[in-house]
Amino acid sequence: MTKAAKTLKFEGKDLRQRPTGAHKDAPQEPEPYIVGDRLKTAVNLAIALRRPLLLEGDPGCGKTCLAKAVAFELGLPFFPWNIQSISKAQDGQYVYDALGRLHDVQIQKGEKASRRDPSDPKAYCEMGALGKAFEIKDRPSVVLIDEIDKAELDFPNDLLTVLDKPWKFQVKETGAWVAADPQYIPIVFITSNKEKGNLPDAFLRRCLYHFVEFPKDSEELKRIITRHYEIENLQRQADDKMTPPQEDLQKASIERFLSVRNEGGLVKKPGTSEFLDWLKALQTFAAKPYSAEKLVGKDEKENKLPYPELLLKVQQDWRKFKPAT
Amino acid sequence: MSQFNAQDWITRLFLRLKGRGYLLGVDEYQAALQAVEAGYAEDEAALVELVQILWCHSLLQQDQLVTIWQDLQGETQKPKALPKNLENKTEPPPLPPKPIEGIKPLQPDPEPIAEKIEIPPQPEVASLPVQAPFAPIEREGLLPLQNYFPLSRRSMVYGWRFLRRPVADGFKNVLDIPATIQSVTDQGYYLAPVYRRQQRNQARLVLLIDQNGSMMPFHRFARDLVETAREESPLQKENVQVFYFHNVPASHIYQDLYLTSPVPIKEMLGQCDNETSVLIVSDAGAARGYRQQERIQTTTRFLLQLQKQTHLIAWLNPMRRSRWVGSSAEILSYLVPMFQMDRLGFSEAIDVIRGVAKPSVPGDED
Repeated sequence: MTKAAKTLKFEGKDLRQRPTGAHKDAPQEPEPYIVGDRLKTAVNLAIALRRPLLLEGDPGCGKTCLAKAVAFELGLPFFPWNIQSISKAQDGQYVYDALGRLHDVQIQKGEKASRRDPSDPKAYCEMGALGKAFEIKDRPSVVLIDEIDKAELDFPNDLLTVLDKPWKFQVKETGAWVAADPQYIPIVFITSNKEKGNLPDAFLRRCLYHFVEFPKDSEELKRIITRHYEIENLQRQADDKMTPPQEDLQKASIERFLSVRNEGGLVKKPGTSEFLDWLKALQTFAAKPYSAEKLVGKDEKENKLPYPELLLKVQQDWRKFKPAT
Repeated sequence: MSQFNAQDWITRLFLRLKGRGYLLGVDEYQAALQAVEAGYAEDEAALVELVQILWCHSLLQQDQLVTIWQDLQGETQKPKALPKNLENKTEPPPLPPKPIEGIKPLQPDPEPIAEKIEIPPQPEVASLPVQAPFAPIEREGLLPLQNYFPLSRRSMVYGWRFLRRPVADGFKNVLDIPATIQSVTDQGYYLAPVYRRQQRNQARLVLLIDQNGSMMPFHRFARDLVETAREESPLQKENVQVFYFHNVPASHIYQDLYLTSPVPIKEMLGQCDNETSVLIVSDAGAARGYRQQERIQTTTRFLLQLQKQTHLIAWLNPMRRSRWVGSSAEILSYLVPMFQMDRLGFSEAIDVIRGVAKPSVPGDED
């Protein structure tokens, strides 16, 4: 176990400001995130053992935000890598702009100055998320590989060779090696939603696994609301602060949301982020906040739902409720 | 619980889970020990949590682990009356217990039998039992059913990948950087980039799938095969043809899986040329152990006709090789390369239909 692994510990503190001595690439803004005990253990295990933490779970339950929250609290540089269907494992290491170099050679022939010097092959190499993380030598960094299953089938397997000892790779075009300091191996978070079935066995074996669940009880949702508004207000100007919804509206919306989510027989269940948007709409969209009494009383009886467009995203679900005004 | 020996538990759990087919290696074992040293397993609850995070890779496995853990604990708390049987227990029974009464004492699970049967079992052969067979469900969990994935979808997609016959006849829009640089150095000045044509996969595949009857349990795999070949393979969609038949491809085969729109087999054969890959999916009578002269003859006739068109033929049999013996599958496996439907068998079959492998000697050991 490395030295850094012993000292670093993620505690899920409600930090408002960047910790002192945070790296310049660490997230600037705090992330409203409530961490359960179990998730905390999983994160700390990932830090201690330096194995990637694979996060699965319903969409909108905070898989992606976790990495940022960890990086913010520990003041570590944060390098997100959003996977697309055309992403290749090498993109995470570096991208080499061979065409740009050829272009610059031509420009120089025409006796104009080019932005970069084509005689220097290093100038055309741009590091990807993992490359940047490997280059930081004074502390570990946090790498987020978001939605890994969007990529090609071989992608996770290709990635494995980089995410394991000896933690280094070669830039073919320049011949240089990029290696992580063995003391400060990056902390890797990977999110997946099983779009294309299971990930390959060899890949799974290396990962730690945590399933991010939707908050089970209303208390937890309430904490999320409070924290969310707190952080949001931190980032706003003094004259633009948001007032959190009244206690009764909070309570009613949580109650109604949970009943719709758990008993409504929905095809696609809304997540935490949808809930927060919906609550914001209830509070601010009309001139007056939506009546809490109506939300759990009359509306529920008549099977009506205000602002359903924020919660129901599939046609079948849409039919189950009538819009309320 | 003053001295809770977590390392010991980790070792026992590791062995148990390994036997259950969890994806674990020595690295994972060491990682767990490291975590124990770092104080992540101070009590039992923490230990279970640690193992769930580290060694389980789905919610289902995490749930199963709790049961396995309780089992393991239950075993150690029992008085050590039958140490031998306890030894056996680390190996979970791969199949549900057999329903024959006489075999029962051999089962690794001693205590339910002790409750049920008081008289020692008779050594002589008894008649078949009428009562429902004893099945210790709680101990089995969901695993035996879960594990029945002879060929996962993912392996299918991998397999199809190798079925390629790339021909550069697409749009001419692929930038060839080395050729461009070469032309710049040749000419001394830069004129235009060099483009190549897009490559397209021209491999053609005919899937012949046995439907209904003894193939009923394997429909799911047949369906996956068809779907992956059509949607998730490098094959061009129009180059994948799927036909269905029941038991034997006779004078007609069918275009749909309900066997309602027949096509004369001649038409199918007419579309095959010597570069068409043909994959037949059928148990060839092995599922029920049939060996019918008529069935063998008809299939043979069909295979001989097919072999006149193409030699890229393979047969995927969902039954294990050991079950082919004595059935018509055994005979047919001498006519055409036949493979059992697992990862290895599938990739060998793909090798045959893409024409890189010599058909292996039939009747090999498992």
